Amino acid sequence: MFQRTTPSDISYAVVLRLLAGLGVLILVGPVLIVLITSFTTSAALKFPPPDLSVRWYVELFDRTRSAHIHTAAGNTLWVASVATGLGTLMAVMAALSIARVNRPAARALEASFLSPLILPTLAYGLASLMLFALLGFRPSLYHLVLGHLVVISPFVFRTTLASLTQLDPSLLESSASLGASRFYTFRRITLPIIAPGVAAGAFLAFIASIDNVPVSLFLSNARTSMLPIRMWGMMESTLDVRVAAISGVLIAVILILMIVMDRLVGLTRRMGV
Amino acid sequence: MRMPPQPLTLDGLTHGYGAGLAVDNVTLEVRGGELVALLGPSGCGKTTLLRIIGGFVTQISGSVIIGDRRVDSYPPNQREVGVVFQNYALFPHMTVAENIAYGLAARGVSKALQRERVAEMLATVQMTAFAERKPRQLSGGQQQRVALARALAVRPRILLLDEPFAALDKNLRLDLQIEIKRLQRQFGLTAILVTHDQDEAMSIADKIAVMNKGRIEQLGSPIDIYDDPSTLFVNSFIGSSNLLAGTIERLEAGTFGVRLDNGAFWPVASNRSFARGDAVFASVRPEQLTLATAEAPGRFPVNHALSLPIGGMLLHDVRETNGAKLKVAEPRVPGTSLSMGGAAWCGLAANARPSLFPRP
Ligand SMILES: Nc1ncnc2c1ncn2[C@@H]1O[C@H](COP(=O)(O)OP(=O)(O)O)[C@@H](O)[C@H]1O
Ligand SMILES: [Mg+2]
Repeated sequence: MFQRTTPSDISYAVVLRLLAGLGVLILVGPVLIVLITSFTTSAALKFPPPDLSVRWYVELFDRTRSAHIHTAAGNTLWVASVATGLGTLMAVMAALSIARVNRPAARALEASFLSPLILPTLAYGLASLMLFALLGFRPSLYHLVLGHLVVISPFVFRTTLASLTQLDPSLLESSASLGASRFYTFRRITLPIIAPGVAAGAFLAFIASIDNVPVSLFLSNARTSMLPIRMWGMMESTLDVRVAAISGVLIAVILILMIVMDRLVGLTRRMGV
Repeated sequence: MRMPPQPLTLDGLTHGYGAGLAVDNVTLEVRGGELVALLGPSGCGKTTLLRIIGGFVTQISGSVIIGDRRVDSYPPNQREVGVVFQNYALFPHMTVAENIAYGLAARGVSKALQRERVAEMLATVQMTAFAERKPRQLSGGQQQRVALARALAVRPRILLLDEPFAALDKNLRLDLQIEIKRLQRQFGLTAILVTHDQDEAMSIADKIAVMNKGRIEQLGSPIDIYDDPSTLFVNSFIGSSNLLAGTIERLEAGTFGVRLDNGAFWPVASNRSFARGDAVFASVRPEQLTLATAEAPGRFPVNHALSLPIGGMLLHDVRETNGAKLKVAEPRVPGTSLSMGGAAWCGLAANARPSLFPRP
């Protein structure tokens, strides 16, 4: 096909590329700066680094000198794993029970299950702290799990609901007409088909828990310290370069996880829904 | 150890979604081993009727009886009704073999027996070479065969097919129609096939139930329905026909003398009752009309506009003197060229049997 390129086409393409470039710069730039800084030889969190080394990574993985960081990381991983596990179970059951219901009550429930994604998490963190205090609970990792559960399960709920709405109802009818019970249909048709959506949601929930600040801020204390809060504390007091090294490790781990998930379930395709 | 073919009775089935009735008091008896086509325009309630039989929709009133069991309270998975869905509904995450084995596995049939039955069904639908493929790697016709094999693998009492050929190419359709007919015979299945394609219904069904607005307008063999449509709706839905307005002028035993508005007088046999002076439509199929060059009793003048060769037939497009269009089909004499245009006389062919309908 013959097409003439007009000046307006060219300016459109130029503007589009500039915007895309700007977007990449804003998103990737800071990550790169942190990564590069984490390899500094200096004891100051300053960019550009005078020279490169793995000094701060060695420091970070030192058992005794970074013990408090390791504890916080352990707490964070434990809370994220338990909250993701429980949250996934709850969110999948919630999605299953309202996906094919057309009544207004189901839509209202859907909106309320999703509301933690929109409502200010900071206010929720404060509220949960006050509630637990009112009930006389002492801060513990279990309360952190409960707190995280509320803010991260909507991720699973949303992707599961999307998978369920895409699930062709005639598959379920087909299964029934072939003699399968509802449970058999769930196990062999529904579950395998929504599994990638559930996994993608669980992954997002896990990440959301790992770097949650607003809830952890209120619910953690010195005994139950969480990694992001600990990092903030280190920044405030000493401008510790290990903070950059922790960021480097987190970025690397999440990047690897993302690539694995994308291979397994097409994560990037599902994040949009 | 095959079950004898099971009869299916629908007794006064009625269903509606909110306003109006999608299925309106449908009563139908299907003999064991018979294939009945539900034929009707889109939206007339065919799918709803099928879904009631399958148990996916619960009717407002009426009953479904399969064999000697009233199945109204049975959920779909206990009705033993096989369904081939319009979009085939193959399980996308399973191979062809797993799809076919599914119903057997759900019933807890042993793995060995499953394998045996799957192999048998694959051979029956000539898909053995595709056993390990996923549905998305198959063409539409192949998916259709797998859907059929999957439904038949569990030996259902009744087979329901919802527009099974709608998504297929014209020439593939004929193959699959023959295939379905063959399997239905071979398995001695009572089957209901939904379609809006009258040719499909004519070629495949033992009986056709023509539906309109949720009701069955006529039930009969394809030939009965074609030759003796019971209502104007059925008449216009099945095949093409010409409607000529006229008035009953004479009554004789079983025969009515009809004076057409164009002046011709036709004696027409009909088992419907009319009185002298009743306004009627005489409906004639294109192949029941002929063109001639000379005037004769029963002929009326027309203007011959156009002739189209359609296979072995010639289809003439003619106009009455008042401008009304008629279609006349005649066998084409091989080797002759078309003569176009001019005045002619149109009349009934030998053995023609027009139908009479009351004209509102
Ligand atoms: N799930 C439904 N909800 C509301 N109306 C429906 C539903 N299914 C079908 N209908 C209506 O019922 C009528 C019959 O539909 P259907 O049985 O699908 O007809 P057909 O299969 O002959 O095209 C149509 O008017 C259609 O709009
Ligand atoms: Mg339909």
